[in-house]
Amino acid sequence: MNIERVLVANRGEIAVRIIKACRELGIGSVAAISEADRESLPAKMVDRAVCIGPPRPVDSYLKIDALICAALGTHCDAIHPGYGFLAEQPELAEACGKYGIIFIGPSPENLRQMGNKLLAREIVKDCGIPIIPGSEKVKDVKEAIKVAEEMKFPILLKAAAGGGGRGIKIVTNWEELKATFETAAAEARVAFGDETLYIEHYIPNARHIEVQIAADHFGNVIHVGERDCSLQRRYQKVIEEAPATSISSDLRESIRRAGVTVAKSMNYRNLGTVEFILDQDLSQFYFLEVNTRIQVEHPVTEMISGIDLVKEQIRIASSHPLSLSQSEVSLEGHSIECRINAELPEAGFQPCPGKIREWIPPQGEGIRVDSHCYPGYLVPPYYDSLIAKVITLGNDRSEAIERMRYALKSFIISGIHTTIPFLQFLLNKSDFIEGRVNTRWIEEVLSNNRYQSCRKDPTTGGSRYERDQFR
Amino acid sequence: MKLTEDEVFQILKLLEESSFEELNLEMGDLKLHVRKHGSLAVTGGDCITTVSTPIGVSPKTVAEVKQEVPQTGVQETPSIVTDVRERGAKEVAPISQEGLLPITAPMLGTLYRRPAPGSPPYVEVGTFVKENDTVCLLEVMKVFNSVKAGVRGYIVKICAESGDLVEYGQTLFLVKPADKPEEKD
Repeated sequence: MNIERVLVANRGEIAVRIIKACRELGIGSVAAISEADRESLPAKMVDRAVCIGPPRPVDSYLKIDALICAALGTHCDAIHPGYGFLAEQPELAEACGKYGIIFIGPSPENLRQMGNKLLAREIVKDCGIPIIPGSEKVKDVKEAIKVAEEMKFPILLKAAAGGGGRGIKIVTNWEELKATFETAAAEARVAFGDETLYIEHYIPNARHIEVQIAADHFGNVIHVGERDCSLQRRYQKVIEEAPATSISSDLRESIRRAGVTVAKSMNYRNLGTVEFILDQDLSQFYFLEVNTRIQVEHPVTEMISGIDLVKEQIRIASSHPLSLSQSEVSLEGHSIECRINAELPEAGFQPCPGKIREWIPPQGEGIRVDSHCYPGYLVPPYYDSLIAKVITLGNDRSEAIERMRYALKSFIISGIHTTIPFLQFLLNKSDFIEGRVNTRWIEEVLSNNRYQSCRKDPTTGGSRYERDQFR
Repeated sequence: MKLTEDEVFQILKLLEESSFEELNLEMGDLKLHVRKHGSLAVTGGDCITTVSTPIGVSPKTVAEVKQEVPQTGVQETPSIVTDVRERGAKEVAPISQEGLLPITAPMLGTLYRRPAPGSPPYVEVGTFVKENDTVCLLEVMKVFNSVKAGVRGYIVKICAESGDLVEYGQTLFLVKPADKPEEKD
């Protein structure tokens, strides 16, 4: 079944990315926008933009009935959910099924299985893939303390319905556990509608490695290599790379195979990412979670594979077989992505919405910029602060880093603060260049005010904002 | 719930003089979000003020606020930029100049002008409506929602027809304001 028109149920750079893929496939696109996004780039690019509600996500991008109504009213036969918002909510996928609309994503059943982290652990454990040592559901503080003392502190207290770095707390002793258990449950209930908590062993020297999967309706499952997303702040990814250079080729093969096994075992269809935690001290990897959507960092995989993942995702949803087999996947070079946020790092990464005055993205060999911004665009205060992704490709990692340094240096943005100076600071650290990092590295760099003191030194870096002061 | 422009200025002034950075006010349908410095005091950045008015609030008032704001005392701090946006921004400005008030769609949905097939429409051109009168229905996934006039006056134009998909904030009817029906002889 061919898709003829897609309702893009998302905003920002991923909406732009989806619209471009639709165009290349000769598919029409309609943007569902909130009132705050009337002047956004996706709204300007599409055949038709439909305003589905007020700015707040609960009144617009999270409203399933409005999205279905907009899709039917504009004769769309498919909905692309992007990432975030409703992308991993089984309810949207179900509503699509009920109204004869193709949901460009997995089945509601797959979404339920992977949305509940405890259930996902069970499924993965059954196919013989190591999971992080941890508990079943812990029902109260007493049980939590018992589990934690057997496991030895520190531990991670996690919400079963969490994921994507949300609903996680590190707990270092039992007093702390006593103090945080109730609030963690309450937070989980408010944020995810499910207060179930469980406990996981905490791995201090870890890398985050994830495998890109593509699976069609005919049982074909391939991987498109792995990504290393160890550079995180508060469990949110900051810099991502492909391939992972820190692991032996044997370990790499095992992780890739494990990713394919997980997708096959759950009869998965769609793009997906199987995330693993690598314990660097033991060279042992553990299953973390499956992301059942296109991911923010998908471009690094596209850069080294030459595969357009969003187009592939739409083809899968149209019940076409994968356009290539595993042996046809060839990965070359090294790619890095930096997420640029409208935030002020010096002020605890406080979001800085506002009007963009100048906007001149970098150009050059091996440089790609995914963004929805333009000069004069008002970054609205209602949504997340991602304004651009800069992606570079090099023959090897050092060339990719070099190109990223050049790209960030020549990216001109004024009117708002961005995290570019902070990213430049990270790219110049010898620990980063030589690969001596783990998932806590950025937090460590940020503690002791090492970043702040560096910012006071006029010889290093130089944000556009500071340069403006000297004009 | 309504706020006059004077009241909005008073709120802006109160915040300006207070030690608080941000104010969120919700009164029924009305939501007001005022922030002193767009991001941070140190940036001297933008000030974003968002006023969303409930359906049927006189758009004239909002339009006037938009024009008046740059001349107020609150604006004396030169670095502050105020951006007042209202619902259905596209339609509101030109229509208010003609002295007509729009009735806008409170949600996205399929419009129905009649309570049931074969029944007469809720309103026609020339119908006098009061604030709580139903003017049409909006269907969203088999759920019908009645749309109230929100204003008092005569329907002078019907801007969308039965079966149309109407967007959030889209103008459905134009109303010429009047306190009571004109006496007929």
